[in-house]
Amino acid sequence: MAEVVLTDVNKRYGTVHAVKDVNLTVDDEEFVVLVGPSGCGKSTTLRMIAGLEEITSGTVSIGGRVVNELPPRDRDLAMVFQNYALYQHMTVYDNLAFGLRNRKVPEDRVREEVNKAASILSITELLKRRPGQLSGGQQQRVALGRCIVRHPQVFLFDEPLSNLDAKLRANMRIELKRLRERVPTTSIYVTHDQVEAMTLGDRVVVMRDGWVQQVGTPLEIYNRPRTLFVAGFMGSPPMNFIEVNLREANGYLYAEAADFRVRVPPVSDAALRPYMERSAVLGVRPEHVLLGEPAPENETGFDGGIDVTEQLGSEMLVGVGAAGTEIMMSRVDPQIGLKLHEKVRLSLNPAHLHFFDRDSEQAIV
Amino acid sequence: MGLSDGARLMGDIVDKDMATPGRNRAPGASWLSRIGEKERFMLLLIAPAASVLILFQIVPIVIGADASFRDWKLYDPQMTWIGWEHYIYVLTDPVFMGLVLPNTFLFMFLSVVISLVLGLALAHLLNRDFVGQRIVQTIVLLPLMVAPVIAATMMRWVFNDQFGVVAAFIEWLGFGQIAWLAERWPSFFIILFTDAWIWTPWFTIILLAGLKSLPREPYEAAAIDAAGAWRVFTHITLPMLRPVMLVCIVIRAIDAFRTFDQVWVITAGGPARGTELFSVYAYIEAFQNLNFGRGSAAAVIGGIIILVVGMIMYRILARVLEVSR
Amino acid sequence: MTAANAALGGPERRGFFDALAPGGKRALFLLALAAVLFIFIFPVFWLMLTSLKPGWEVFYVHRGTEFTWANYVDVLQEEIVVRAFINSFVIATLATVVSLTVTVTSGYMLSRFKGRIASTWFATIYLFRCIPYISWVLPLYFVTQWWGIYDSYLGLLLPHIAVHICFFSWIMKGFFDGIDPSMEHAALIDGCTRWGAFRRVALPAAIPGVAALAILCWLYTWNEFLFALILTSYETPMITVVMAQFVHELGTEWHLMSATAVMAMGPAMIVTVFGQKYVIQGLRV
Repeated sequence: MAEVVLTDVNKRYGTVHAVKDVNLTVDDEEFVVLVGPSGCGKSTTLRMIAGLEEITSGTVSIGGRVVNELPPRDRDLAMVFQNYALYQHMTVYDNLAFGLRNRKVPEDRVREEVNKAASILSITELLKRRPGQLSGGQQQRVALGRCIVRHPQVFLFDEPLSNLDAKLRANMRIELKRLRERVPTTSIYVTHDQVEAMTLGDRVVVMRDGWVQQVGTPLEIYNRPRTLFVAGFMGSPPMNFIEVNLREANGYLYAEAADFRVRVPPVSDAALRPYMERSAVLGVRPEHVLLGEPAPENETGFDGGIDVTEQLGSEMLVGVGAAGTEIMMSRVDPQIGLKLHEKVRLSLNPAHLHFFDRDSEQAIV
Repeated sequence: MGLSDGARLMGDIVDKDMATPGRNRAPGASWLSRIGEKERFMLLLIAPAASVLILFQIVPIVIGADASFRDWKLYDPQMTWIGWEHYIYVLTDPVFMGLVLPNTFLFMFLSVVISLVLGLALAHLLNRDFVGQRIVQTIVLLPLMVAPVIAATMMRWVFNDQFGVVAAFIEWLGFGQIAWLAERWPSFFIILFTDAWIWTPWFTIILLAGLKSLPREPYEAAAIDAAGAWRVFTHITLPMLRPVMLVCIVIRAIDAFRTFDQVWVITAGGPARGTELFSVYAYIEAFQNLNFGRGSAAAVIGGIIILVVGMIMYRILARVLEVSR
Repeated sequence: MTAANAALGGPERRGFFDALAPGGKRALFLLALAAVLFIFIFPVFWLMLTSLKPGWEVFYVHRGTEFTWANYVDVLQEEIVVRAFINSFVIATLATVVSLTVTVTSGYMLSRFKGRIASTWFATIYLFRCIPYISWVLPLYFVTQWWGIYDSYLGLLLPHIAVHICFFSWIMKGFFDGIDPSMEHAALIDGCTRWGAFRRVALPAAIPGVAALAILCWLYTWNEFLFALILTSYETPMITVVMAQFVHELGTEWHLMSATAVMAMGPAMIVTVFGQKYVIQGLRV
């Protein structure tokens, strides 16, 4: 059982508090992604699990035993680095064999394991070469090979795809998923790319400024973000935010801003009542901003002029002016011929409106 | 080398921290277990170097400092404590204060300036591809492989005022024989010339490496801006070379202060101690006047001077080169 | 002068060097180059020439095209010269090997660690690098006698190592700074101890730099004068000192002395010519 449990983990560098009270349980064979902007503490957390950083307070346990005091080599894990960190002066074979040889594994076992790992990652032809002679993608596969060859309890990934170009990155994501199927292992993956987080993780941990903002499955995080930050960070193009005032009229709650007025859907009514006569932040994703007339009972529509269009081929992004200076991005059918400054009627999907407290940035549910 | 951050070629790749089990132990634990695995490793890494340093630098310096307060003649070491007597002697010695120290500072200044300017020019000259560049580079490296003693000997022979080739040349020109090694300033000049001969290549090689590592873009922008060669040099090349130059200047200046070999071989401090530098003074006191105590005092004084000067120089230079932008 | 410049009506920013026709620039360049080459080569050439002239001829610049190897033969027959040669060689080599071994760990420590121990060591090395040699070699004269290592290999070797530590720890630090620490992290995770990570991953990557430093170190020790002068006598003569003795003791036998000097330059030249590429790399700050 290779469960990884972090309990009240903190990291301080002098006066800088880089990681704050992180609590996390990663189940056996689960793939968890730590995602967040630069400096949010995700790499530091990973390195504390690895043993490359000192744990200021809290405990980290792997497979049931507390590993705070153990050096990296005794924690039975493997790590893939952003810049591959391959041993430049050794052949690929030796790179893969290094960890096994350190543990005094007999040479014939070493050969067996290395060849097995090499065939899983399709790098058998590269075994005699040196890292300097390999392409970025090949090097990263060797780094992955180095990981699996020792059959550790936990895999750690520190932004492994960040150094690759976009196309290669997409390919490697698929490779990683295939690897997961063949060698299911508890994995903790760090990235700043929310697409990687969504596509790779069983669960996603969003971090910011050292704090864990939210933990959940990708869909949970996407559909039910608990803070303003998580809502804005995940999803591309990002969620639209508009500051609104809540007013009551005709027995219904309305969210209002300059020449913008939508009715609060019944499902959010109860939660938002306390915010009457106050302001909140309304969030709605571009795919939930619809072109066309809303149903009369909905009254979640508004008019606006098109300020910007971005044709992507698979879809078109349209920016409509709303509430004065705000631009609402909407995803529409790419075939529709829309022109700049054309006036359109947009409506918001009432099932997917998010409201956030302006000061605490928490979701209002 | 490696003194200032400006000299670092690559960005921040220094590791911050490595795990230290042992930090979370009980506070009552002994010092050894409390210092942790990381600290023990660090100490282990420097242990051999530190022990050599302690035995062969720190201990001698302490003994030397101690000796400077004692009556210690090489032939009759009574070692009685005489307090500041030696220091007073040296600091009031007209030769030391009036000749040796000014000489040393003058030498320091001129040596660095000359080698720097010539080294810069040479580096600039070599910073292009031309036929035989490799050979020229090897020749420029020549003085670096010659021992200062040998270089000084060569120069002493070349500039020998009776039989040297330069003397022969001047005689051929019709000026007759001039005994310049008996004059203070010509001798000083010869020592400086030798020093420049030895150290210009050092500057050249380092500055050349520096020039080669400069980015291309500012030069391309300057070309588009139609800047002339001299302006490009003063406004683009020099500022970008500043960090490297600063490091070289400080290193070389501190080394110039302690010059011994060249002076000893060419003039032994003469004529009439006119070209004596600080190291030579201390040596003469200790091994020729056989007054070890006084020589030690001179050595200590010089040591303190250069430490202070070194620090001041670093600060001033950094500021001056900043302002001149 | 670009069109833009002309349009602005500004002064032509051309200086002396630009005003020269390409031919003129070339001529200036070649002239400078020739002057440089002449100044650097001539003294060496003259020394070599002198070493090949018989004793009496040395004093007459113009006359005599009589060249002889006699000086070299004479000098090599002096026992002290031969011994000095051997001693210098042995000490230079030993000092290089030991110094580099000791310095490489020192440089590694400075590169990879921060904190009180590291900065103390850093400051210590810097401090002792600045102290004039005379200040601690003078007392070393006695210290080596008390410890019974005066005028011996050990007595000369260890002070040299002390100097090398202060000189080369910087450069070593620079080398390790240029090596990606992630490799060592990977090694730690792969089962190495800290020492193992250093020895098996970081050190091999630093070998090219260390090789360059080895050449510099060897040359520096071979050419060193002051330590040899103070710390040795008849038991362990060194070539630099022996060569200088010709000037003071035996009168000025320039012909013999120049022969010794040329021989003393020999190994240094061989080492430099072969290691030139590494030296330039190694001196990159």
